Amino acid sequence: MLIKRAERQARRGTLAGALPTQIDGGLDRRTFLRRSGLAAGSLASLGALTLGSVRKAEAGPPPPAGAQVTIRKSICTHCAVGCTVTAEVANNVWIGQEPSWDSPINRGSHCAKGASVRELVSGERRLKYPMKMANGQWTRVSWDQAIGEIGDKLLAIRDNSGPDSVYLLGSAKMTNEGSYLFRKFGAFWGTNNTDHQARICHSTTVTGVANTWGYGAMTNSFNDIRNSKTVVIMGGNPAEAHPVSLQHILEGQELNRSNLIVIDPRLTRTAAHATEYVRLRPGTDIPVLHGMMWHILQNGWEDKEFIRQRVYGFDDLKKEVEKWTPDEVERVSGVPGEQLKRVAQMFATQKPATLVWCMGQTQHTVGTANVRASCIALLLTGNVGAPGTGANIFRGHDNVQGATDVGLDIVTLPFYYGLTEAAWKHWSRVWEVDYGYLQSRFDSKQIMETSGIPLTRWFDAVLLPKDQVAQKDNVRAMFVQGHASNSIARIPESLKGLAKLDLLVIADPHPTTWASLSVEAGRKDGTYLLPVCTQFESSGSRVASNRSMQWGEQVVKPIFESKDDYQVLYLMAKKLGFADLLFKNIKVEGDRPVPEDILREINRGSWSTGYCGQSPERLKLHMANQKDFDLVTTRATSGPAKGDYYGLPWPCWGSPEVKHPGTPLLYNTNLAVMDGGGCFRARFGVERNGVNLLAEGSYPTDSEIKDGYPEFTYGVLKKLGWDTDLTADELAVIQKIGADKPETVSWSTDLSGGIQRVALKHGCVPYGNAKARMNAFGLPDPIPVHREPIYSPRLDLIAKYPTLPHAKQFRLPNIGFSVQKAAVDKGIAKDFPLIFSSGRLVEYEGGGEETRSNKWLAELQQDMFIEINPADASDRGIKDGGWVWVTGAENSSKAKVKALVTARVGKGVVWMPFHFGGWYGGKDLRANYPQGVDPVVLGESANTITTYGYDPATGMQEPKVTLCQVRAA
Amino acid sequence: MAMVYARIRLVAAAIALLVLAAVATPVAAQQPNSVNPNADAVKEQQLLEQFKRIQGLGTIPDTKSYTIEQPEGRQWRQYHEVSLPWIGTIAMLGMIVLLLIFFLVRGMVRIKGGRSGVNIVRFTAFERFVHWMTATCFVLMALTGLNITFGKVALLPLIGPGAFSKWSLAAKYAHNFLSFPFTLGVIVIFCMWLAGNIPNGRDLAWFKQGGGIVGGDDPPAYRFNGGQKVVYWLVVLAGTIVAVSGYLLMFPFYGTTIAGMQLAQMVHGTVAVLFVAAMIAHAYIGTIGMEGAFEAMGEGTVDLNWAKQHHRLWLEEEQGRVGPAELERQPSPRPATPRA
Amino acid sequence: MARMKFLCDADRCIECNACVTACKNENEVPWGINRRRVVTINDGLPGERSVSMACMHCTDAPCAAVCPVSCFYTTADAVVLHSKDLCIGCGYCFYACPFGAPQYPRVGNFGSRGKMDKCTYCTGGPEADGSAIEYEKYGANRLAEGKLPLCAEMCSTKSLLAGDGDIIAQIYKDRVAKRGYGSGAWGWQTAYRETIAT
Repeated sequence: MLIKRAERQARRGTLAGALPTQIDGGLDRRTFLRRSGLAAGSLASLGALTLGSVRKAEAGPPPPAGAQVTIRKSICTHCAVGCTVTAEVANNVWIGQEPSWDSPINRGSHCAKGASVRELVSGERRLKYPMKMANGQWTRVSWDQAIGEIGDKLLAIRDNSGPDSVYLLGSAKMTNEGSYLFRKFGAFWGTNNTDHQARICHSTTVTGVANTWGYGAMTNSFNDIRNSKTVVIMGGNPAEAHPVSLQHILEGQELNRSNLIVIDPRLTRTAAHATEYVRLRPGTDIPVLHGMMWHILQNGWEDKEFIRQRVYGFDDLKKEVEKWTPDEVERVSGVPGEQLKRVAQMFATQKPATLVWCMGQTQHTVGTANVRASCIALLLTGNVGAPGTGANIFRGHDNVQGATDVGLDIVTLPFYYGLTEAAWKHWSRVWEVDYGYLQSRFDSKQIMETSGIPLTRWFDAVLLPKDQVAQKDNVRAMFVQGHASNSIARIPESLKGLAKLDLLVIADPHPTTWASLSVEAGRKDGTYLLPVCTQFESSGSRVASNRSMQWGEQVVKPIFESKDDYQVLYLMAKKLGFADLLFKNIKVEGDRPVPEDILREINRGSWSTGYCGQSPERLKLHMANQKDFDLVTTRATSGPAKGDYYGLPWPCWGSPEVKHPGTPLLYNTNLAVMDGGGCFRARFGVERNGVNLLAEGSYPTDSEIKDGYPEFTYGVLKKLGWDTDLTADELAVIQKIGADKPETVSWSTDLSGGIQRVALKHGCVPYGNAKARMNAFGLPDPIPVHREPIYSPRLDLIAKYPTLPHAKQFRLPNIGFSVQKAAVDKGIAKDFPLIFSSGRLVEYEGGGEETRSNKWLAELQQDMFIEINPADASDRGIKDGGWVWVTGAENSSKAKVKALVTARVGKGVVWMPFHFGGWYGGKDLRANYPQGVDPVVLGESANTITTYGYDPATGMQEPKVTLCQVRAA
Repeated sequence: MAMVYARIRLVAAAIALLVLAAVATPVAAQQPNSVNPNADAVKEQQLLEQFKRIQGLGTIPDTKSYTIEQPEGRQWRQYHEVSLPWIGTIAMLGMIVLLLIFFLVRGMVRIKGGRSGVNIVRFTAFERFVHWMTATCFVLMALTGLNITFGKVALLPLIGPGAFSKWSLAAKYAHNFLSFPFTLGVIVIFCMWLAGNIPNGRDLAWFKQGGGIVGGDDPPAYRFNGGQKVVYWLVVLAGTIVAVSGYLLMFPFYGTTIAGMQLAQMVHGTVAVLFVAAMIAHAYIGTIGMEGAFEAMGEGTVDLNWAKQHHRLWLEEEQGRVGPAELERQPSPRPATPRA
Repeated sequence: MARMKFLCDADRCIECNACVTACKNENEVPWGINRRRVVTINDGLPGERSVSMACMHCTDAPCAAVCPVSCFYTTADAVVLHSKDLCIGCGYCFYACPFGAPQYPRVGNFGSRGKMDKCTYCTGGPEADGSAIEYEKYGANRLAEGKLPLCAEMCSTKSLLAGDGDIIAQIYKDRVAKRGYGSGAWGWQTAYRETIAT
């Protein structure tokens, strides 16, 4: 009667043909009908039975008769693995999802979230139109009115308090184009207070790893883990956070019979598949890593040649590691020496070995030091820059890597150029606006070149006395586009901040906990909800954790009155008066800037990170020819993209015409640069205190320079005599940029791409060839040292391993030291004896409002819970499934949740998922949401209990270790 | 050997776990030197051998979904598809055959000396109402119940699947809702006739003499003779059992697990078919098996001679209580038919 | 012989629930009906394993045997299906099923459970293949399109296998031989009266 899919008839019979027919006693439908005496005609009448009932389908397939079914491909919006989503669409209705067999990343697979994304665009619980809070009531308004009122309020705040009083909180769920536009919007508005989720997930990774060897990203790929002989997962639970990555990890483990070691305070779903599980006390990653390195050094398992050629600061490391004897490691972390020795031996000798981490390492006051210690362990054993090795850092959101790269950040302009005058000038050239204009948008040149406020502390920036906030005035407006509030630590404090804000704008597919908590905080006016669509209703590129960039098509048009990120930013810019300049080189169709044009602008300016070669055309070519890419190497072996690596993983050097294939493994000297090879980046000078910082005798295959070299500038080209390779046009651009000092024009500022092209031609990496740094001078702890969490149960260790002293960071004071001291003095650990940690569930993502609004997912996790060890539970008379009160160490915080009594957590440790929201202090806030858009499932937020503590290098919060008490409710 | 090894490993794992669990705060204290979750993985075979069923932990609220394997479903199926039909067929058909033979051999038990023409009240209107209410429910439930077991063999081929499903669905509801009046009836019957149904010495004698049906002499009996007491207690007990087991099935998972419901269904089915068989005998003796018996429940009165023959002691009691004249409430619809 | 089966390789299953939501998505299964679910055994202990379970489409299926109205039928591919038009919601299949597969839309007091619903192996029901009425009552009919059930096709780690019994048994055998361990073909002994020798 109706055909569900276009190819149905064509494929019919495939199965029958492929398989031998008829098993004994088997009936086909017709036979059944015949034998049962049911003719097709009589079924309808039977359907009308009076008793009992047959389920009525709500929507969904099959499509109406005659409707054309088209296939559209996008990328899953729920994590950074980068699974392709294949959508069947008829009449602008997404009617079905099919496995994306051709994607080399997910090969048809999904997790619970990916397999349910179709629900997102049916949108029962989505925001349907703009709303505002007027006299304590949610009221529908038009887009025009909303944009007009918001714009007027922003301009008023700008007039009184300066542009920095507006906090622009963007999202890792935007596309590259969206997040780039958001950062650019910030620059044109005149503030560096532009941040996104990377702050609270991998900001410490980006900082720590980039400071070690050049770029703060996953060095290898999910697929490449198939080559590993030893996989150490430390502080990550990819089985729940990145389920499809487990396909590569487990298959690799099975095929190589490799070691899969999980080091974690919880016996997670990932740990269940490990060949070795190591339980450590939360917050003791550095002692464990140093302990491993102690065994490695003790036994001479380190890779001496690798260290000689490619590592700086080895002697400094040794001095620190010597302190971490097995006894001390066990005393601090609880990990037995014998077990750690075995792990260390596997890691160092059963190579290639890789280290995988996630938020277990990053979300700490010592997050940057943690990831640094991990990198150092890899360097020590020579496990970087080759297949099967590397720092496989699993990023969280679908485009958190991209949003970070495009500079939706407080410390830099796009692509890590920083905030220096040179950086601003580079981007003013790319944007073709006057540098003076950009400067005029800021309060001062000084603040223009000063890092902004991390999102973890937005409420501190609202609440602290004005003189403690190093900008003209406190933050007075939050413009939040795609970010949860319940994923930010210290919710009780944020409630005070919400109450004090003059303006709160929430641009999101869902009202989020910003809305429900703002009502709870007592806001009656000045709150706006703008319905923004999901990325399935828009198009653009996103970067997976492995740096592969994938183009997502628009599956269906935005539902209800929602608009995509580009439209919202365009409308805001138009209202605020800088749309013409902001979109100078970007075509705007109606009110929608064309993402392809935005990507082309990105290509023109992103030389530093190698986003210059990924034109929209190349990306679309990859999406159309996914089947040509190899599963393990991710390189296309045939087809129009032959030779390219899937998604042109950055750095993809030169202009698109250079046809660089992308870099699947960073720093891999075993390949030529034009085959994706590389080396450590020369980012920190050429020498320090007389010690050479450049590589020695190590270089990528086919390099014409057989040793280390600094980053390329026009001056360097001239010295090498390679400047003659530049075309006249390229030279003209360089001279125009350099003006009186063309020698200083570098590979990253040369807009012609000539310097990169010439370097590549000679087999060299444009950024130079240096050593990786074990000693990362310039960071708070150049060699990682253990520091106890702010709230630690081990009073005996705080004296020996205290947190860092006070400092002013990111415009705000960091007073972790006195908080830690006060906790000791007040005996907090006595009243709150349990270590509190938080983490991920597979069904939900981030703050969880979107996924908790998805009925297919919500059904699977209906209650917020806390994991508690059976021993701790029985001490407290707590029963599995019973209600408990969790009380926190600050603000008399409390949360009412269900107990999950389980041995997943060790004694003395409790754990909560961080995706819940919509309850606060035992109170259900469902009534605070506008009607009909409340998520299906609500629950207490883990961050109600979390406490003070910020990484000195990035402002990362500390949701992984604090103290709490639990009692039966 | 492999099993022993598996057991040892399981015990070892359990011990390892206890050690893990016993780690004192801080986690610092002793941890096992090696935990290899993969090597310790549970095996399906081992779980089935140990526990007969496999259960775990899920996240949806439906806790019964946490059981992923319960092979006893197969045993229940064996019962439902093989044992029960056989038990039912043998019991019910056997009973009918027995009664048929008995009827052929013995014929109807006649009233000795024929009808007197004088009737005495045996059951009040209320008693009769309760009896017939219960009996009607019973018959309907028997039919609808038997339909579940035998319908697909006996009825489905005759009327076809569509009609059979319609009928079965209606039958299911009838069965479920008739259970309430039936249960009420059983309870009232229990209370109403308890006094007359306390077993005593007379009953033994009654049985020894074959209740006067097979033997020559009619043993004396009070209001209820031994045979009737058996029926009474059968109704009370079997009625209670089918009611309780039936309600357990009607309210799934209230205080039962799937295993409990399987058991409930087995009890319900078995007792029900035996009950039906017994009631066939009851119906026989109350109708064509014995002259003058049906009127007791039909009109509520019995012939004086019938009472003399079957319930002499009761008759004497009644006469002693109210006097012979009073007993005669209404003229008998049947004329006296004196017989030799 | 074409004989469709499910096989959950528990050593691969990570309880990601993709199979569950894929099923919900493909068949628009309403809240409260769980044609497929994932259960974790020995949760939190070394040796923990998760298993995805749904109707196993048994050989000589107990549900079909006990159904008082004979509403079940087995297709040529050995998929066990039923007719919701014939089902009377008695619950007997639930008693007989070794895997807890049958689901009912209502709590079921007074026997008013509604029509039984269960995994169809993405094979729809007795109505015409791919018809709207078939979709409404039973969900998708992928087999008719030459596709396998979406739960298995979307499994994150290729733990859940669907397809011809011999083929998936061979895949499992190969895996166990390669990696050196295997916790068993969960449910096969019970459903198909056979095990996979590894």
